[in-house]
Amino acid sequence: MRRSSRPTAGGGRRGRLALTQATAPAPDPTPAELRLGEIVPREILTPASVDELAAILRARNESGEAVVIVGGGTLQGIGHAPRRYDLALRTTALNRTIEYEYRDLTIAVQAGMSLAELDATLAARGQFVPLDAPQAGRGTVGGVLASGWLGPRRAAYGRPRDLLIGTTVVLADGTVAKAGGMVVKNSTGYDMSRFYCGSLGTLAAVVRANFKTLPLPEVRRVALATLPEATRKHVLENIMRLDVEPVAAFAIDGFADAVDLHDDIDGRLFLLFEGSRVLIDRATRELRSLLGAAGVPDTTLIDAGAGQSFARLIDAYTVRIGDRSATYRSRGLPGDLFGRSATIARLARLHELHLERMEDMRTGDLIARVSAPVGAQFDERIVPFDTALHAATPRAQVIAAPESWRGSLAMWGAPPPSLDVMRAIKTRFDPKGTLAPGRFVGGI
Amino acid sequence: MRSGVRERLAGRLIDAIGADAVRTEPEDLAVYSFDAFSGETLPSAAVLPKDARDVSAIVRIASELGEPIVPRGAGTGLCGGATPARGGIVMSFARMNRILSLDAPNRRARVQPGVINLELSKQAEPQGLFFGPDPSSQKISTLGGNVGTNAGGPHALSYGSMTNHVIGLEFVTQNGEVHHTSQDDPGYDLTSALVGSEGTLGIITAIDLKLLRVPPAILVCVAAFGDVESASAAVSAIVGAGIVPTALEIMDRTITQAVEAHYHAGFPLDAGAVLLVEIAGEPDDTDASERAIAKIAREHGALSWRSASEAAERDALWASRKGAAGAIGRIAPNYYIQDATVPRTRLPQALHRVDEIARDHHLQVGNVFHAGDGNLHPLLMFDRREPRQVKAVMAAGTEILEACIALGGTISGEHGIGYEKRNALPYVFSADDLATMARVREVFDPKRLFNPDKIFPSGAVCGEVRAQPQAAVGAGAWL
Repeated sequence: MRRSSRPTAGGGRRGRLALTQATAPAPDPTPAELRLGEIVPREILTPASVDELAAILRARNESGEAVVIVGGGTLQGIGHAPRRYDLALRTTALNRTIEYEYRDLTIAVQAGMSLAELDATLAARGQFVPLDAPQAGRGTVGGVLASGWLGPRRAAYGRPRDLLIGTTVVLADGTVAKAGGMVVKNSTGYDMSRFYCGSLGTLAAVVRANFKTLPLPEVRRVALATLPEATRKHVLENIMRLDVEPVAAFAIDGFADAVDLHDDIDGRLFLLFEGSRVLIDRATRELRSLLGAAGVPDTTLIDAGAGQSFARLIDAYTVRIGDRSATYRSRGLPGDLFGRSATIARLARLHELHLERMEDMRTGDLIARVSAPVGAQFDERIVPFDTALHAATPRAQVIAAPESWRGSLAMWGAPPPSLDVMRAIKTRFDPKGTLAPGRFVGGI
Repeated sequence: MRSGVRERLAGRLIDAIGADAVRTEPEDLAVYSFDAFSGETLPSAAVLPKDARDVSAIVRIASELGEPIVPRGAGTGLCGGATPARGGIVMSFARMNRILSLDAPNRRARVQPGVINLELSKQAEPQGLFFGPDPSSQKISTLGGNVGTNAGGPHALSYGSMTNHVIGLEFVTQNGEVHHTSQDDPGYDLTSALVGSEGTLGIITAIDLKLLRVPPAILVCVAAFGDVESASAAVSAIVGAGIVPTALEIMDRTITQAVEAHYHAGFPLDAGAVLLVEIAGEPDDTDASERAIAKIAREHGALSWRSASEAAERDALWASRKGAAGAIGRIAPNYYIQDATVPRTRLPQALHRVDEIARDHHLQVGNVFHAGDGNLHPLLMFDRREPRQVKAVMAAGTEILEACIALGGTISGEHGIGYEKRNALPYVFSADDLATMARVREVFDPKRLFNPDKIFPSGAVCGEVRAQPQAAVGAGAWL
């Protein structure tokens, strides 16, 4: 176990549990780097085994401390700041492959494994699990599941929880519980594995995840095109009618960090195709014919490096521009995507904020980043914008914003229905409010 | 139940939802006492709500009077999930059978729980869409029941089970409130908790489902093998090579002969086992996949290979496969079907063990199963009138489950746990694992009225979880 601490008056929390040798090479974050809102954890621990993690949780639960489970820290921008935050409990030393039965197309890994390592492990056997989360080098499997992260390829392959076939978790009281298994089809008891997904570490710490894997496609191809305003309507109306569907399809305004075309061009099309060579070649011909008929000037195809292009686009979801941008995810039906997008554009103009958009045509997600120019008062604009945005699209969720704004923005959007049921669940799983109290929807 | 109490319950239900929606006469109640597994106990009443408001009223009355509620779709469940193990109210969804909306552009549908599974695909077909999960009972089983058991079917191999297709639910809580869940909402994933919960958490009154695009080309291929082990070795090799077609099904000789006698779809009668492969997608891809799969099949001893691309021929092959369990009636008066699932590379060993166990108990076994998913369905044949055979079947069933667990598998792939397998659950899960599931149940079902005696082993919620011998079928088995 590794530990690092902010000096405390009595230092009384030190030495409660035995120290073990550091195992992972990555530099440890400082407590300040793991700040959530205005709260800095007093202590950081990085247990080297599930037993150790369970012992820590049991002890801290008994002593009434508040614990936030941290993976790579890449999706900590989601949710409220916790009400209390004594200990950051990192899973990053739990980073091994437990079982990889590649002939069964299943894998079990510890939850602290990075997404990049999972990808590399699977790719060596010609397989993948499309989790599609930002900063794959740092982001962890457990973090993706706990945050309920949703990537663009879920329309084609399912959500992370659709590929999840089993878990082991540690509850607030230190109980180690497993669910599911290593089979790809399972109706044996409640599907607790899916249930933990999206709970943001408020029910349990995920320590092991079993996935069904998919065979890698023969070809992965990105098609990029500029979309002059005159062509936009025709292209977007027809793009989802292609015979060969792209596995991800975006209309993008701004987000120059996401797409390596010219910086200041609005209106770009980003399509990702995956499949056999024959199929992707046909898709390309079909796409060129559609774009040509619409008057789109030209299309860039990326084969080698398509994966990196796609990863860069996903990274952009949570990139902040200094301390003067906020990124929202608005979910809904693909059919009303452009309507929601137009509403948000109008509100951004009204509040004099610069808007960048990624319209995900397959899932219906809208990723909207608003920012103020250098020197302008972002603070004075963002709160009224946030209010107006949630009046128009109540369920929009903040996925990246300056830490100091966590308390002022409606991070989760409007509370979901059945909040009373969710509160009862939290109480039943974590009666002392040990796990990230206040961080979840409705202040759970 | 004392007759005064029964009359009071009946009176309250009739006042709430009308006399034509309430059954209390024993001759009417008999049909609500069993499902495709078994059933002995009559409910106190059966109700036929027409909407969520009726369901809410019934739940409030049941809650007040402490009466259990058992939701029931078409009663095709194989594990006793829809049986009123301790009486109470059986709630049939026969009158909640409408497709409420079919949104083709967004590829989703909203249905009432009593809609027949196949009906949804039929209604979606003109829009070029269909519904993925297709349990063999799909011509009669309801989508509400399919949600309850997290049903799968042959196409679960590529499309997944119900849980991968339910995007939202409307359900009634124990205090009669109507709630809505959506996978687009943040918060705990109540949708995923409810799917596969077999009616123990809430009463589902509407279901939002994903629809899929009908693939442009579909091939159904039939390969004959000398025995079931070599057919299953071929399946393991196909999956191991990274090829996942839309379905990979195996029928052994016993099953093939029974279905062929009934359906005449042209399956080879002399084969020890038949492998049914469905390949769907773009024509270029399906042809290439067929070549690759046929090559692996031949390498593993396939004796013949035939492919059907015409819809009528494909449909005949699928009708035979899905009618397999029914065709067993030609061979034995009763059968007991298992649903264990193993990692796919363990299929040959699992099949070998099933054969050994059946032989040890002097039972005839037929195998028809979702090989691509590792989901076995051994059918143990017996005559219910012979107590010794019943005993042998139950013992063999337990041994098969234990063998599959030892191979890294689990006890149900798609039928659920229900009443039948609840005391086998501790073979798979520890007391802590089960107590964690029980925490969810305690929140939703504090009075233990939603389908009691299902899923959890007797005593689980009190913390007395331990491995127990499996319950026998028949009178007096209810605990």
